[in-house]
Amino acid sequence: MSAVLSAILPVLAAVALMLVNGVVLIYMLRKVLGHLHLRLGPMHVGPKGIVQTTADVLKLLSKEDITPNGVDRWMYVLAPVVVFVPSLMAYAAIPFSETLRITRLDTGLLYTFAVLSLVPLGVIMAGWASANKYSLIGALRAAAQQVAYEVPLLLSVIPVVMIVGSLDLGEIVAFQTGVWMGVVPRWFIIPLLPSFAIFLISALCELNQTPFDMSEAESELVAGFATEYSSMKFGLIFLSEFSNSFVISALAVTLFFGGWTLPFVPEEILTPIAPLIFVLKTYIGIFVFMWIRGTLPRVRIDQLMNLGWKWLIPASLAWIMLVGVVVKLTAPGGVS
Amino acid sequence: MWGKGILNGMRITMRNMLRGPITVKYPYEKIELPERARWAVTPTYNEDGMPKCTACMACIRACPDHILDLEVTTREDKSKHIEHYSYELGACMMCGLCVEACPFDAIEMGHDYELALTSPDELTIDLLADVDAASVKRARPAAEPKPEEPKPEEPKPEEPEEAAE
Repeated sequence: MSAVLSAILPVLAAVALMLVNGVVLIYMLRKVLGHLHLRLGPMHVGPKGIVQTTADVLKLLSKEDITPNGVDRWMYVLAPVVVFVPSLMAYAAIPFSETLRITRLDTGLLYTFAVLSLVPLGVIMAGWASANKYSLIGALRAAAQQVAYEVPLLLSVIPVVMIVGSLDLGEIVAFQTGVWMGVVPRWFIIPLLPSFAIFLISALCELNQTPFDMSEAESELVAGFATEYSSMKFGLIFLSEFSNSFVISALAVTLFFGGWTLPFVPEEILTPIAPLIFVLKTYIGIFVFMWIRGTLPRVRIDQLMNLGWKWLIPASLAWIMLVGVVVKLTAPGGVS
Repeated sequence: MWGKGILNGMRITMRNMLRGPITVKYPYEKIELPERARWAVTPTYNEDGMPKCTACMACIRACPDHILDLEVTTREDKSKHIEHYSYELGACMMCGLCVEACPFDAIEMGHDYELALTSPDELTIDLLADVDAASVKRARPAAEPKPEEPKPEEPKPEEPEEAAE
């Protein structure tokens, strides 16, 4: 019994985190975008509009669940699930602190990326099953873009793995504790800035975030692959998108910003508030995504493909070679 | 485009964010209109509550949309009585020519900008109805016993005389 419970509880916790995160992020998105554009964002429901998202969720839940004529019914119903489940699975390996995580995986990084790469599959299913030209265009764009950018996304984290020598996200964070030369935090952002730049661009693309939101492209494709979805099916797709933002931002924090650690803070103070620091850092990352979203216009699909295949992939390969040589030269027992 | 432009854009949006919103939450807070803002035509009144309008018809002639209508009866003693002075708000383009034309400053462009109505019939407004028109002759003797107060008004009765002549 307790084995079953201890297996189920973390999953429930992840679901709860995902839902709360979705609600918070929608509010945050609207507020941040509003303020970036000199507007106020939601103001009416509750003080400063804080209950607005709750009201939106209730609206979404109580809406009619429409299945249009001509859809591929099974795929249509299955697609939101295929989008949602990998997003949920992606929480499994994320280390919120030394001890607080759903499961400890030796291949945590690989697992997270592998799971996240299932999301485009659901997107393509949704677009195909909807029997709608906008959905289909959105899905094909998603296929082109998310599959293309998976490559630089993975390549961009390889330097981190080479330096740490582990795919365990916890070990990657542990490697980044402490400071260099007494002042500089040992975060990978500093030595591996190009990696982070490539990671950020590819992550935006993976997340379907502006400036790479071609698969949704409200102004051209209604809502892209989600056009025909309504009610909670749409809610699931929406939720999974926000959850992916969280996961990608959490990965960025883990890989490049020292995860739950802070430099100069002694461990006895840090340990109880570690998950808080992690979530705070993650939300700062999400804020940066929103900041980019509120600033940049959508690029064209050919520009996107050019950037991905002609620049990011060669650049990350070259950077991997450079880092590889440096790691080999400086590693103990290596060529020196 | 890929480098400096992006950074500049990010700088601008961040500056906007720190600047704070410029939204005026309209139904709850209203901005003060500039003094010369032109909205619906409204009549002006003397201190005694009587309209300043002398029913000279200058505004009716000036209106390019022909939306002002003044029906007036003249009594035996030449004093005028305004039956109604109607104004079709829905067709008004707020050009202000009627106000410019009025020699008595008897109408002005009001500052009431919340002009939405529930029925098209309400768009024709009676600005004045069943009221005696002000008379230039009557205004003048009134000005003499109290020279201090109406002094700023003195030029007004004089102007119409010139205009009338």
